Amino acid sequence: MTITATPPTAVSVQPRPTRSRQVSAIPTLTMRRLTLSVRNSRSVAVPVLTPLLFALVIAPALANTIATPAGRDTYMTYVALATAGLLIPLNCMFSGLGVIVDRQQGAMRELLVAPIRRSSIVVGNLVAALAITALQLAVLIAASALRGASYVTSLHLLWFLAAALLFAILMYGMAEILATRLPSPEEYIGVLPVIAIVPFFFAGTLFPITSLPHWLAAVAKVLPLTHALALFRYGLTEHSGAQALHNIWGMSNVTVMASLSLLVVALFTIAVFTGAVRLFTKGGTS
Amino acid sequence: MKSGSPAVEAENLVKTYAGDIQAVKGISFAVEAGEAFGLLGPNGAGKTTTIGMLNSTVSPTSGRARLGGRDVARDPIGTRAISSVVFQDSVVDRPLTGRQNLELHLKLWGVRPAEGRARLAELTETVGIADLIDRPVATYSGGERRRMEIVRALLSDPEVVFLDEPTVGLDTRIRHDLFDVIATLRDRTGVTIIMTTHYLDEAERLCDRIAVIDAGTIVACDSPSNFLASIGIEVLEVRADDTQLVVDVLRSHGIAPPDILVIGGTVTASLRTTDGARVLQLLAEASIHVRSATTRSPSLDDVYLRLTGDRITVSSPN
Repeated sequence: MTITATPPTAVSVQPRPTRSRQVSAIPTLTMRRLTLSVRNSRSVAVPVLTPLLFALVIAPALANTIATPAGRDTYMTYVALATAGLLIPLNCMFSGLGVIVDRQQGAMRELLVAPIRRSSIVVGNLVAALAITALQLAVLIAASALRGASYVTSLHLLWFLAAALLFAILMYGMAEILATRLPSPEEYIGVLPVIAIVPFFFAGTLFPITSLPHWLAAVAKVLPLTHALALFRYGLTEHSGAQALHNIWGMSNVTVMASLSLLVVALFTIAVFTGAVRLFTKGGTS
Repeated sequence: MKSGSPAVEAENLVKTYAGDIQAVKGISFAVEAGEAFGLLGPNGAGKTTTIGMLNSTVSPTSGRARLGGRDVARDPIGTRAISSVVFQDSVVDRPLTGRQNLELHLKLWGVRPAEGRARLAELTETVGIADLIDRPVATYSGGERRRMEIVRALLSDPEVVFLDEPTVGLDTRIRHDLFDVIATLRDRTGVTIIMTTHYLDEAERLCDRIAVIDAGTIVACDSPSNFLASIGIEVLEVRADDTQLVVDVLRSHGIAPPDILVIGGTVTASLRTTDGARVLQLLAEASIHVRSATTRSPSLDDVYLRLTGDRITVSSPN
């Protein structure tokens, strides 16, 4: 061991954390999470491979198998957008595993004694999850467009972006709540499919909710995924989106229906994410 | 730090967990700036809970904790800004390199980048980990990881560092090495240290004062030298088949019950007015079969056992 004789450098630390300091902690925490999540080429390839597989193989295969009056490419577009309803929950829910790993083997306790608001830790992790989800969605849409899916590019895209953002925040909030409540990755993995996969089959993903039994269609109308998917479709395909929104609300004014669906997703998001932050903050102090 | 305020102040801290489990039952102490203060006690005594209440990870049921004059409950972020913690278990991002872990701390504690880099270089050099900080922490040995965590705790030039059993689980050589590092850094930085430990030699070596905690309360608080002086001039350890007979002889020759400790088949006595040879002679005269006997200088182990162990409370011969 080397012991040097010079006194260590005195450092200047900002005496009181300001609001801007709190905000600046978020990029640091986001970069930490991204560095932990994306450590090698394999960890980049896996998140990209899933949307590629859906866009290039599964959506075309389903479109070829199922003959719809609207035609092959329309159904392929339908399935490709449905995939967004699977990718967002899966990626956000898997991000929650990182919180458990942080708590069990990582630097969580160091973060809890850092001079930052504990909510910054949740938001930092959320932004990292959003970044990876955005990459997956971009790959999905680009690859499916190359394969023949047709998307409308207009200001309607904002409906898609708003719904995707809110829905991803909602799903990450769910992930944080579960990660805070469940002690082990094994228990978390056990619950994950119930939240991330089961709703996929009832939310108008591969077929309209009008094809479901009445009682199940009623359940589907309460699922935030149903509203988010209708908005995804409204944002990128207009016609099938308008139909999906009509299947939920039964109205004629599409903008009103889209606004109502966005409101539903937003309310779910606010409730869940606020709960997630509160739970995490409370859990940081015993 | 507010002028005139102790660096750390605990005022009647109480922590009761669900199920009416009283972990801490009213602990008070004050630690001056630059002082090294040890919390010593058996497992479950309340040491880590006390540290938790001081670093805002445990909320007190009642009482008040202050760091640098700031109330921990009212200003948790402000008090966290002037302190750091070395935890009992390793708390690091193992897939990241040592440098990445250290830089994360610098950023979160708001240290200016140039100053942070300089301090990181100096401290890693001082503790002998400069050559390995660009390796993933997963490849470090336990001792190397501990050194890195000690460097991390000092990077932001904190006023107070909490060391929660920093050497637990490490082998003796690494433990001694690490304590050299802590002692050196303490001398150089003048940081206030609050340390919990099971190892009395560590407490004796580093701490200016020690509080012995047992069952959630402080049973004694003094400097190591005063503690040692309180034990007497010599300690006698006698192994005998009938410890009660040994205790009776010791009592009848004026050794007070608090100075006599029986653990298993061994009687330990602190001798103040007599010496070991005289006591052994008395035991021989009483025809007590002694299997072995040793005398030695008092250590903090004796103080610790006297304060937290099964102190003998035999009734008088009458």
